[in-house]
Amino acid sequence: MNILAIDTATTACAVGIATDRGATIVRVLDTDRHHTESLAPGILALLEECGLTPRDLHRVVVDRGPGLYTGLRVGVTTATSLAQALGCALVSVTSLELLAWGAHDDGVRATVLCAVDGRRGEVFAQTFQLGEGVEAVGEPEVARPRDVVIAWATNGAPVTFTGDGVERYLADFVAVPNGAVFAQSVPSLHAALTIAATREPVAAISPLYLRDADAVANFSTRERRS
Amino acid sequence: MSVVLGIETSCDETAAAVVDGNYRVRSSVIESSIDQHRAFGGVVPELAGRAHVTTLGPVVARALANAGLDAHHPAIDAVAVTSGPGLIGSLLVGLSAAKAYALGWGVPFVGVNHLEGHLFAPLLEQPDLAWPVLTLLVSGGHSMIVLQSGPGQHEVLGETIDDAAGEAYDKVARWLGLGYPGGPEIDRLAQRGDATALKLPVSMTGPDFDLSFSGLKTAVVRATEKHHEVALGDVAASFQAAVAEQLLRKLRHAMERYDVRGVALAGGVAANSALRAGVRSLADGFAVACHLPTLELCTDNAAMIAAAGLYRFGADGPSPFNLSASPNWQLVDVS
Ligand SMILES: [Zn+2]
Repeated sequence: MNILAIDTATTACAVGIATDRGATIVRVLDTDRHHTESLAPGILALLEECGLTPRDLHRVVVDRGPGLYTGLRVGVTTATSLAQALGCALVSVTSLELLAWGAHDDGVRATVLCAVDGRRGEVFAQTFQLGEGVEAVGEPEVARPRDVVIAWATNGAPVTFTGDGVERYLADFVAVPNGAVFAQSVPSLHAALTIAATREPVAAISPLYLRDADAVANFSTRERRS
Repeated sequence: MSVVLGIETSCDETAAAVVDGNYRVRSSVIESSIDQHRAFGGVVPELAGRAHVTTLGPVVARALANAGLDAHHPAIDAVAVTSGPGLIGSLLVGLSAAKAYALGWGVPFVGVNHLEGHLFAPLLEQPDLAWPVLTLLVSGGHSMIVLQSGPGQHEVLGETIDDAAGEAYDKVARWLGLGYPGGPEIDRLAQRGDATALKLPVSMTGPDFDLSFSGLKTAVVRATEKHHEVALGDVAASFQAAVAEQLLRKLRHAMERYDVRGVALAGGVAANSALRAGVRSLADGFAVACHLPTLELCTDNAAMIAAAGLYRFGADGPSPFNLSASPNWQLVDVS
């Protein structure tokens, strides 16, 4: 099965491919929010490198967030439109589960708190239990980094922090005595390609915003008036 | 003969259309998220962007099906998409989709200027129209007078120095406590009003072709503060008449200055009844053709984008896949 993976949830734009000849390539195309400019040329270059055309793709997997809203719109729209054009299967993963798997595949075990930078002084966070596999503990949520840090320091249980939300507020996170930091800013597309091979395809995908549109609308309307 | 799929997502409309090489519209589908924006009195960029993501795929699927094209192997020669001007978060959705469709189907794609798209609307109803044509392009975002010597050959003679005409409608409607968008509300109220009830100034009476509407909005506020007794319909009629008079006066100046064979109305405000009537009588007076596209082609749509894309693809070739959105792309910078 030839699978294409797309990640635009953070400031990075990344693509990956796994071919039925056993090749796997993952590439970070840009790290400075140039999702629109980088993504389509990056996909074309990657396919060419593998000697494939878009028609050879069987599955497209995309990170639906949470993360940067415009980045997610570019990635999710590109993935869903490409799958629609080709009539191929579409699979969705979240940025937080990819971070958890990225840590897992690098040997991290036990409790991991994944955090993606959510802007406006907040992170998108979710806790996972890493053993044989990866299991989510609770749902993804919007949180203030200080609140997350205080909760874990109070709790006292050993925990590993990872994600670009941790890097953004590193000083806060390293202050947790029972915490460790696993440096990882881009969600793992190796993990996305592995998950995509077995996960049930879906008909459509929406970005995982985590803040509802009305709240955002009120926020941006206020912003414009002031 | 070329067949082009057009995509438009620059504001609140999510649209897709298929147009062939003779500017014949084979399908045109338009959805709008306007209902979500009413409560905020204007288009909220984040809401518009979110709506495009979920709506665009089904809209494109319907446009292909209505044109009798296969969903996965459509017989099209290019994908055209609005790449500016417009809301950045909305433009990016259409642009990303257009690139992905083009990539998947193995056809080229071309980025189109939204304003140039509006200028192609008359061609969709009359592909053999006689040039040159003077076009009054008025909408929520833009107000300008354009001299067209042929498809894709345009010179901006003048444009608004402050608010767009549609913006003035929205602001006056908000002041009067009417709903959003203001154009249809004011037009409806004006039908029963007396246009001479309020003395409003006609701005920009000079010889150039620039336009201005912010002073008019201020004049409406002052006049209604002073004369509480004036009926809403009369205010609406007076305001609408003043807007139309400025636009038509400038258009008449341009008709006197340039020897044209037609006059056209484009953009969302072209739905306005006073403006349509005025342009028609102006065309009759100068004995030139009058191009008043149907409302569906005046307001934002993807058929006009496909038409402009057809021309741009022929003239300039495809766009590179690293094309980014240009939220402030001016018509004068299109070449
Ligand atoms: Zn428009």
